[in-house]
Amino acid sequence: MSTGRNGRSISVLTVLFVLKNPIRGDGILNLKACGDEYQAPWCRHLQAVSYRNRRTEKERVLGFGGRKMSTYNYVVTAHKPTNVTHSCVGNFTGPQELNLIIAKCTRIEIHLLTPQGLQPMLDVPIYGRIATLELFRSHGETQDLLFIATERYKFCVLQWDADAHEVITRAMGDVSDRIGRPTDNGQIGIIDPDCRLIGLHLYDGLFKVIPFDNKGQLKEAFNIRLEELQVLDIKFLYGCPKPTIVVLYQDNKDARHVKTYEVSLKDKDFVEGPWAQNNLDNGADLLIPVPPPFCGVLIIGEETIVYCSASAFKAIPIRPSITRAYGRVDADGSRYLLGDLSGLLHLLVIVHEKEKVTGLKIELLGETSIASTISYLDNAFVYIGSSFGDSQLIKLNLQPDAKGSYVEVLERYVNLGPIVDFCVVDLERQGQGQVVTCSGAYKDGSLCIVRNGIGINEQASVELQGIKGMWSLKSATDDLYDTFLVVSFISETRILAMNLEDELEETEIEGFCSQVQTLFCHDAVHNQLVQVTSSSVRLVSSVSRELRNEWHAPAGYSINVATANTTQVLLATRGGNLVYLEIGDGILVEKKHAELKYDISCLDINPIGENLTYSNLAAVGMWTDISVKIFSLPDLKPMTEEHLGGEIIPRSVLLCSFEGIPYLLCALGDGHLLNFLLNTTTGELTDRKKVSLGTQPITLRTFSSKNTTHVFAASDRPTVIYSSNKKLLYSNVNLKEVSHMCPFNSAAFPDSLAIAKEGELTIGTIDDIQKLHIRSIPLGEHARRICHQEKSRTFAICSLKYNQSSTEDSEMHFIRLLDDQTFDFISTYALDQFEYGCSILNCSFSDDSNAYYCVGTAYVMPEENEPTKGRILVFIVEDGKLQLVAEKETKGAVYSLNAFNGKLLAAINQKIQLYKWMLRDDGTRELQSECGHHGHILALYVQTHGDFIVVGDLMKSISLLIYKHEEGAIEERARDYNANWMSAVEILDDDIYLGAENNFNLFTVRKNSEGATDEERGRLEVVGEYHLGEFVNRFRNGSLVMRLPDSDVGQIPTIIFGTVNGVIGVIASLPQDQYIFMEKLQTNLRKVIKGVGGLSHEQWRSFYNEKKNAESRNFLDGDLIESFLDLGRSRMEEISKSMNVSVEEVMKRVEELTRLH
Amino acid sequence: MGSWIVGDWPSFDPHNFSQLRPNDPSKKTPITYHPTHERTLPPPDQVISSEAKNILLRQFYQRGDEKLRPKRAAPENLAPEQESKHPRASVASSSEPHK
Repeated sequence: MSTGRNGRSISVLTVLFVLKNPIRGDGILNLKACGDEYQAPWCRHLQAVSYRNRRTEKERVLGFGGRKMSTYNYVVTAHKPTNVTHSCVGNFTGPQELNLIIAKCTRIEIHLLTPQGLQPMLDVPIYGRIATLELFRSHGETQDLLFIATERYKFCVLQWDADAHEVITRAMGDVSDRIGRPTDNGQIGIIDPDCRLIGLHLYDGLFKVIPFDNKGQLKEAFNIRLEELQVLDIKFLYGCPKPTIVVLYQDNKDARHVKTYEVSLKDKDFVEGPWAQNNLDNGADLLIPVPPPFCGVLIIGEETIVYCSASAFKAIPIRPSITRAYGRVDADGSRYLLGDLSGLLHLLVIVHEKEKVTGLKIELLGETSIASTISYLDNAFVYIGSSFGDSQLIKLNLQPDAKGSYVEVLERYVNLGPIVDFCVVDLERQGQGQVVTCSGAYKDGSLCIVRNGIGINEQASVELQGIKGMWSLKSATDDLYDTFLVVSFISETRILAMNLEDELEETEIEGFCSQVQTLFCHDAVHNQLVQVTSSSVRLVSSVSRELRNEWHAPAGYSINVATANTTQVLLATRGGNLVYLEIGDGILVEKKHAELKYDISCLDINPIGENLTYSNLAAVGMWTDISVKIFSLPDLKPMTEEHLGGEIIPRSVLLCSFEGIPYLLCALGDGHLLNFLLNTTTGELTDRKKVSLGTQPITLRTFSSKNTTHVFAASDRPTVIYSSNKKLLYSNVNLKEVSHMCPFNSAAFPDSLAIAKEGELTIGTIDDIQKLHIRSIPLGEHARRICHQEKSRTFAICSLKYNQSSTEDSEMHFIRLLDDQTFDFISTYALDQFEYGCSILNCSFSDDSNAYYCVGTAYVMPEENEPTKGRILVFIVEDGKLQLVAEKETKGAVYSLNAFNGKLLAAINQKIQLYKWMLRDDGTRELQSECGHHGHILALYVQTHGDFIVVGDLMKSISLLIYKHEEGAIEERARDYNANWMSAVEILDDDIYLGAENNFNLFTVRKNSEGATDEERGRLEVVGEYHLGEFVNRFRNGSLVMRLPDSDVGQIPTIIFGTVNGVIGVIASLPQDQYIFMEKLQTNLRKVIKGVGGLSHEQWRSFYNEKKNAESRNFLDGDLIESFLDLGRSRMEEISKSMNVSVEEVMKRVEELTRLH
Repeated sequence: MGSWIVGDWPSFDPHNFSQLRPNDPSKKTPITYHPTHERTLPPPDQVISSEAKNILLRQFYQRGDEKLRPKRAAPENLAPEQESKHPRASVASSSEPHK
């Protein structure tokens, strides 16, 4: 059961403050209310701009270099939503299968309950923001159907087809009305327990009915007038002969009541219901319908809980709390789990004698994350879905623990939402961005460090130049650990080994030739080692380390490349000669020789069949004809030949198996990687795929991590290739350049890799193999602003702590300083009572080399609609302490701070204000007001570029200001005249600015410097529109991946955004030709990948708010485009055919885009 | 207080969660679903829209119907054999022109 029907509105026991909204970056809470007083026309004089002035502006603009246009944008999700808004349990995938279905705003996840726990089955993207999620059992069905309604008034009924393993659409429709005022308290969607109708409350004063016929088919929907205008909740009552709703509402004197209505399907109207109850708890907000035998309804208030039915009325007082979610435990409705806003979990019990309700009881069970939804699963396990913290799987124990809690948290599912602010930093100084988010709210607030790619945790390193190859060897065949690390150079080979002190020191293997380069090494059976050099193959005892046998290459035929496993050796000499040897006890036997047309560039005989010591196949890469060939072993018979095309030779081939599927990987000299499915019986290669990993030759090696084999591709862009859900995935390794890698699993460094990079040999362990790594730092309080200071290696945050222990609710606001490695609080500055931290900035000023933290605050007084007082505080970090060095009072809330021309630019209520950093006579500093600009409703978001200032207004979209040095003035240059309620802005380039607004849309506007008239130049033209479906709180320049200037994607500028649902996304400005190609692909994909529930992708991505609905333009949906890679081959072919491009080309281009995040 | 209500938790399948290993690294991320089949489109008769008539008009029609109802109700209240004897009551036929 779910009550999280509205992710936006949050009520607090006390008065609603403008700055109190925990999920919005700006803290703006009641947008409608604070906007109403600003409806006056906002016409303004637009100043004529002389041509001279325009030119100087342009000359002052730095950084973007020329007229690079960022009109064409690609929007893609790097981290999917994790805010759980709804959940339900039922038999969806089969009559005997119990499922947990959870909604994460725009996605649903289907889980199966198993002995091992929750087994995730499917992640289903929905083209809409989910407003209602309900399972129901239609007449004559053996399993449940899923009803979903979206915020844009679409609904669908989904069914699981177990045979086809597909979600099918039973019904769908549009339930919007042309006229109607959308409800303030979110949409309500309910299903009659006897499946006679679906009820929807979407607009004030209307109740929409979708009737079922007796076969469970839906019929035409109709509206019924609902007298109650301020509805808080509606539920169907159980056990009524006619479908009956109970309505919890507030009257115009703010008193709350419940009322019942019967729905007469015949008359399409309400009939007065069996009972009503007036004057409930002022905080009553939630109804829980009680099933038979008791029936009736529970009304959950802030101070009381009431049971109400036609025949009974029982009430109990409770400790003041706001209940946000409930979950029914027993089928007879006698017990319920209630979750409140402080994360306390209670059990509510209906006390009864026979079938008569005699009272209510409530028992505190313990603490969880703040629940937005609670689902009782099975055998005392409960799912807690959360919007403000991590979702959890908990167990209800029979006995309380030492702290009196019955709750045991068994699993946590990380939630980044709401991301209120974030910053992009490079903490490891590797040239790769990491995102540090202010996540969660209330007690569940945290900082999350989000990093892309796989990290290497360095254990030891030594300076070594010119490494040409590395292999690890064991001192006995059945040893668990590796002992030797063979490192080859151009004219020598050195052997390192772990000594007794667990140090790596140089040693010798007498039987090896160490005066030349080693081409290949491997452990061999019978406690032997194999070394291949250009002249011979040496078989050495790993015990005595003495040479046991040697195979010499014929004179004049030096060995070029070689490979081996524990029983076989394959080598190639000059002139295309391929020689196959087998390893015996003290003997190397030449089994077969073959002469090929051309020279051989690479080889592999990695066993991938059932026999782990012997390969039946050999892969061979060729010079000249640029091909790979598969040979059978031991007879060296050619089986398959695959021409690679192009002029780049294969440099590394690898036979490997992922999730039981055999592949051939083939890396080219230009950083491209081909992969094929391999038929191990016939040697046939199919499903060729090509990706670009880097620009330099790649060497492929397998390694194991957590008992799974992965492939390491060493190059200028090191990558780990792994498989998930039978699809190959590529994750970059957070190292700049790796020339060679070999696994080195020693006793001292278990599960490690030896890595040769930039004149250095490093031994390190590898992160878990996954794309995004999230480290969560729980704060126990709510961080709302963050910024990083490189100089002091610290973060500073604005945070608030709620104290609900005493009788009065109170909150305290802090500026806290954190170490950027340990994330410990190292210094704290407490703000005054009622003072909120609104903005934070790391900056320095002209003529002052110090780095400062500037903090903007607001005094939020209960009696004021809008703050009239605030402060700007300037701190310096000294000895790990925040020292206040200057303080300036302001006439309002300081919503934004920017470093600007060596000065400080602040957005204070309606005004943009510039401050100089002045030196006083006594040597101290102060902020001195220089100039300002009025004319905003609330200037909430500011970005600057050169002398330009881009302002995102509460409700007046984006405007562009310019600072005039000579006049010391800030003037408006242009504005967007649409009434967008902004939530974030960013500057994409000189002329194009990006905005996110309140209705989950993105848009871009363009400055029109070349306009013929002042009027034209004064207008920011809307050039791009897109429905993101996410509430963006912050844009930041930067990238989650390592950006190499010489790679294709390295040229593409990117913006990162963070949202209320915990999404981290990337907006990339594509070159026009690439955009056109991808747009074509998107159009084709829309035809092939269908929206679940019959929902249309085109409609979903169209710009949509109360005033406007326009097709998306100049934005592409990267999530849809990248799903091309998940399609089956035939679907890919279908699409590429209609685009007149090869499948391989489309895949390559899409793969490139996946490397942006 | 407490223990008598905290406990006796419902069980649908006693095996569920019996072998739970918290934070099992082998737990997979779910496959992202991209349907390509035709059944994402609902059956044609199950594309639901709202009645075009607004509430006011509907009430007018309903009231109109109600006015007519007593006239129509009269023959219905009569015994069925009477109906067969008088198949065409002139009042009823005139009030229902579409029959």
